[in-house]
Amino acid sequence: MPKNSKGIEVAKILPEKCIGCQICVAECPVGAIEMSNGAAVIDPEVCIGCGKCFEVCPVEAVKFEKKRSPKKIRKPEEVAQYARDNYRGVAVFIESFNGQGATVSWELIGKARQLAEKLNTRVIGFLLGYEVNDSAREAIAYGCDEVHVIDDPLLRTYISKPYGKALTDLCKKVKPEIFLIGATPLGRDLAGIVATNLETGLTADCTGLDIEEEKNLLLMTRPTFGGNIMATIFCEHHRPQMSTVRPRVFKTPEKNPARNGNIYCHVLEPPHDKLPELIDFIKDVVSGDGVDISRFPALVVAGKGACDLETMPLLEELANLVGGIVACSRPVVEAGLMPYDRQVGQTGKTVAPKLYLGIGVSGAVQHLVGMQGSEKIIAVNADPKAPIFNVADVGIIGDYKKVVPVLIEELKKRKLRN
Amino acid sequence: MQENYDVAIVGAGPAGISAACVLAGKGIKTIVVERGEYPGAKNISGGVLYGHDLAAIIPDFVEKKCPVERNIIESRLWFLSKSGGYSLSFRDRAFYEKQAFNAFTVGRARFDRWFAEQARAKGALVVCSTVVTDLLRDSNNRVIGVTTDRPEGDLKARVVVLADGINSPLAAKTGFRPEPKPSHIALAVKEVIELPEEIINERFNTETGHGVTIEIIGEITQGMDGIAVIYTNKNSLSVCIGANLSDFMESKVKPYEMLEEFKQHPLVAPLIKDGQAKEYMAHWIAEGGYEAIPQLCGDGYLIAGDSGMLFNALHREGSNMAMTSGRFAAETIAEALDKGDFSRKTLAGYVARLQNSYVIKDLKKYRRFNAFRLQHHELFTTLPRLGSFAAQQMLTVDGVPKKEKQKAICKKFRKEISWGSLIRLLWTGWRSVK
Amino acid sequence: MHFICCIKQVPDTSKVKIDPETNTLIRSGVESIANPYDMVALEAALTLKDTCGGKLTVLSMGPPQAEQVLREAISCGADEAILLSDRAFAGADTLATSYALTRAIEKLAQKTPVDIVCCGKQAIDGDTAQVGPGIATRLGYTQFTYVTEIKEIDTVNARITVKRKVEGGSEIIRGPLPCVLTVELELAKPRRASLPRLIHSLKSEIGVWNAEAIHGDNQKLGLKGSPTWVKKIFSPPFKEGGPRFDARENPRQAVEDCLKTLLADETFAFHLLKQWGQ
Repeated sequence: MPKNSKGIEVAKILPEKCIGCQICVAECPVGAIEMSNGAAVIDPEVCIGCGKCFEVCPVEAVKFEKKRSPKKIRKPEEVAQYARDNYRGVAVFIESFNGQGATVSWELIGKARQLAEKLNTRVIGFLLGYEVNDSAREAIAYGCDEVHVIDDPLLRTYISKPYGKALTDLCKKVKPEIFLIGATPLGRDLAGIVATNLETGLTADCTGLDIEEEKNLLLMTRPTFGGNIMATIFCEHHRPQMSTVRPRVFKTPEKNPARNGNIYCHVLEPPHDKLPELIDFIKDVVSGDGVDISRFPALVVAGKGACDLETMPLLEELANLVGGIVACSRPVVEAGLMPYDRQVGQTGKTVAPKLYLGIGVSGAVQHLVGMQGSEKIIAVNADPKAPIFNVADVGIIGDYKKVVPVLIEELKKRKLRN
Repeated sequence: MQENYDVAIVGAGPAGISAACVLAGKGIKTIVVERGEYPGAKNISGGVLYGHDLAAIIPDFVEKKCPVERNIIESRLWFLSKSGGYSLSFRDRAFYEKQAFNAFTVGRARFDRWFAEQARAKGALVVCSTVVTDLLRDSNNRVIGVTTDRPEGDLKARVVVLADGINSPLAAKTGFRPEPKPSHIALAVKEVIELPEEIINERFNTETGHGVTIEIIGEITQGMDGIAVIYTNKNSLSVCIGANLSDFMESKVKPYEMLEEFKQHPLVAPLIKDGQAKEYMAHWIAEGGYEAIPQLCGDGYLIAGDSGMLFNALHREGSNMAMTSGRFAAETIAEALDKGDFSRKTLAGYVARLQNSYVIKDLKKYRRFNAFRLQHHELFTTLPRLGSFAAQQMLTVDGVPKKEKQKAICKKFRKEISWGSLIRLLWTGWRSVK
Repeated sequence: MHFICCIKQVPDTSKVKIDPETNTLIRSGVESIANPYDMVALEAALTLKDTCGGKLTVLSMGPPQAEQVLREAISCGADEAILLSDRAFAGADTLATSYALTRAIEKLAQKTPVDIVCCGKQAIDGDTAQVGPGIATRLGYTQFTYVTEIKEIDTVNARITVKRKVEGGSEIIRGPLPCVLTVELELAKPRRASLPRLIHSLKSEIGVWNAEAIHGDNQKLGLKGSPTWVKKIFSPPFKEGGPRFDARENPRQAVEDCLKTLLADETFAFHLLKQWGQ
């Protein structure tokens, strides 16, 4: 191991392995890493030999021999003790709109149950709004053991400040060890306020949650770097461990109206500041026909390879046959063949249909992150190397113009048989 | 907020930055306008630079951490047929002792940024992401500045240095340089192939920091007048192949296919084995030589580097001529500023400097070389094939007496190429470079 | 009026591609750029300044190289630029970042009270969208996220009306100043700097503030002040994908084989049957 002038054994980056992702640059606690000609370079005189870069490097481009793990501020037993004594339970924010609970909240209750079982604790719902008692009962039916409600006319519509304060107050009172919020526009607006007020860690837009066995910490996995890399993040010394979670990542649990649970009502302590007022709400008038592709059980998705006007009726027919609708990837929207609200992917909609049929979709990362939750993925593409085949359950290599008519024909045959 | 400058330089390549360094070093108010997002973003070359010409501008370039990839200590020449070929190489201790950095490889994106930084440190302004769209002229048609594609984009300067490279839309628009003929341009493609430093050291038989250049002609360019090169960088190889644009137009060969085939050649493939292709790019090379050099100055402007077609095709030297022409331009401008006269007559001192230096002398020496190559395509077809045939015959041990082999070789030579034309080839070849 | 715009320098993630064979990032010297959302925020701030007059200060936190994005902001019309750069800031997560930025804004506000802080909705490298709300909360300013249009600014009554994206639509909301806006890309198209401004930006001084300058509590800065830690980073799991049928020779055979494989899965077959039963 090379040493610097202070005798510290420093890390070194192997430039031939470095992919220039700059994650180590961001992670280095002392700013010792800089980019040079597309590869990271460590300044040995600044490096403190902590090995952080070694841990985070996705491609093992950092040469570092770890002598001992970095200093722990608090011993593991202490943390466990601290957490157990003061913060308990897995909380979920139940987002409600016009008295209706958001689907993502139910999905999160399902996940919270799994986490709570591992931790041997309860699932808590936090519900804010006006006249939302139905949602509270629904939350119990989906799996909450208790629901804490603040029901107040001031919370009729979402305004950042009162909601932020109300939720912060609930957290301070109930002290959950984990707090999950749906990564909807409202949820993301709110989560940042609460985490800042509580001065705790918040991980945005998670796609995976699990409990680490040793210290019972929440492991939060999220895509980063434009969806190209996954990062697992934890929050060891602060409570609650907060995370926003993408909709449609977890399954909605079965609803059981017979479940028992407690509903606790709390009083709103309104903020003293002058508050904004909502003047108008403009419902999205979608340029197309206003369909929400995420609600369909089957999607026939047109990609760049099937980007022409004549193909569309063919795809419509196929979609009708499987009980779905035609959606598309970004190039098709850019070509003006389909409205934006039919677009699947990072910049479009996240979908998770029972059947995804990609026609001429190559499978760019940005598209894949928006459809990987689909139950069955079928890909038709002329290029055998198209990345879509790597996520497809079944692939057909060939010209869609030849394949799709046969597919329609064969499906019709089988339909008649049934 | 309109400001006037003494000198506006178009293009932050070796020529433009060299001029900027020298001018700013003399305290002359200089601005460089570059179309790329940063200097070097759009600059492409094989990547060999020459210490002599750089040292004339930045004497302590090594101490100033010039981003050198490898110091070239060995040059190889290959004459290849489809399946094999001749290799000649020269290495000398002098190239890493007394004359270190005589020639060295650089990554252009990194080097050009570093070079521009030196100019900045001396006080030149380097403006990026800005395209010069036209020249400003006064009523007497003298150049008095440039127009750019930005709002309020006019820039007044007493002298303009055009150093925007071979592929200059400005040249086409303003007509300061005649559109180069296809036969005066080579189209080259380049791939940077990543390999671990140690592997490169092993394959090229060098120490860390030392490098090799290989220059290659023969059947690899598929009968076209062209050349390939392989240069060693720190942990990558630059593999380039190119041919005359007029030949490309005639033969319809696709450059990247030619590159792919070249990479399969038995002498090349082992060098790049297991390498990762990192970048692919294509560029033009000014190959017209002496005959293609345009008017290098006019009232209020000078042309330097590739823009002025200053490129020695035989020795693959271009960056050195760019730097030196940039320096000469700067020195001439300094004199003109002293005199307060920017007419063509005063600026012609630049041309005189070039003529008295190796730049024009070399180009003049090789002035017939371009035509020679274009007229003797057998250099890239029959000759390497026959040469390889001869060597392969003589080296094959199969019981056939050497005398008979020699006869067979002579017969084949006679059949494919007459002695007369072979002698003529040697004679004109000699004359073209003498 | 005093406007502040926060800009982050990020790697250009849009230029990153994945090698389908090895599932690793293709390294092609990813350049650093100004976060595109922040450039829209800058444009919003510039437009506000153009209408109301006043001063625009741009703020960034990062290594010394990040001054590049601040120069870019000056070239577009910002009046002053401050870079928070100190090893003590390094390794900050969103909580520690919003703390440092807030301290800096408070310091700027001491000299000239701040009216509007403009931020991008999120940065393209982290995509968290948390720093904006963090700043608003710490400063106690009114928070407007996902803003797509600035409808009106009422300097007399110190309030602003904006249009912002919410689930299923947009809302028009009016609230008191000072406020923090986080903006969507569609709000504005960043302007191209004029040549004189660009030249001016190259000569401008960029103020650099360290931890001491913002009177930061070291326990709240950088790595120390960051509750979240990255445990590991990995490429998304590489999937092989299911069977592939080659339809180039015989499309019918391929389609039949494909459907056979599909319908062997009972849940899937059930789904189709359900569709067809209707």
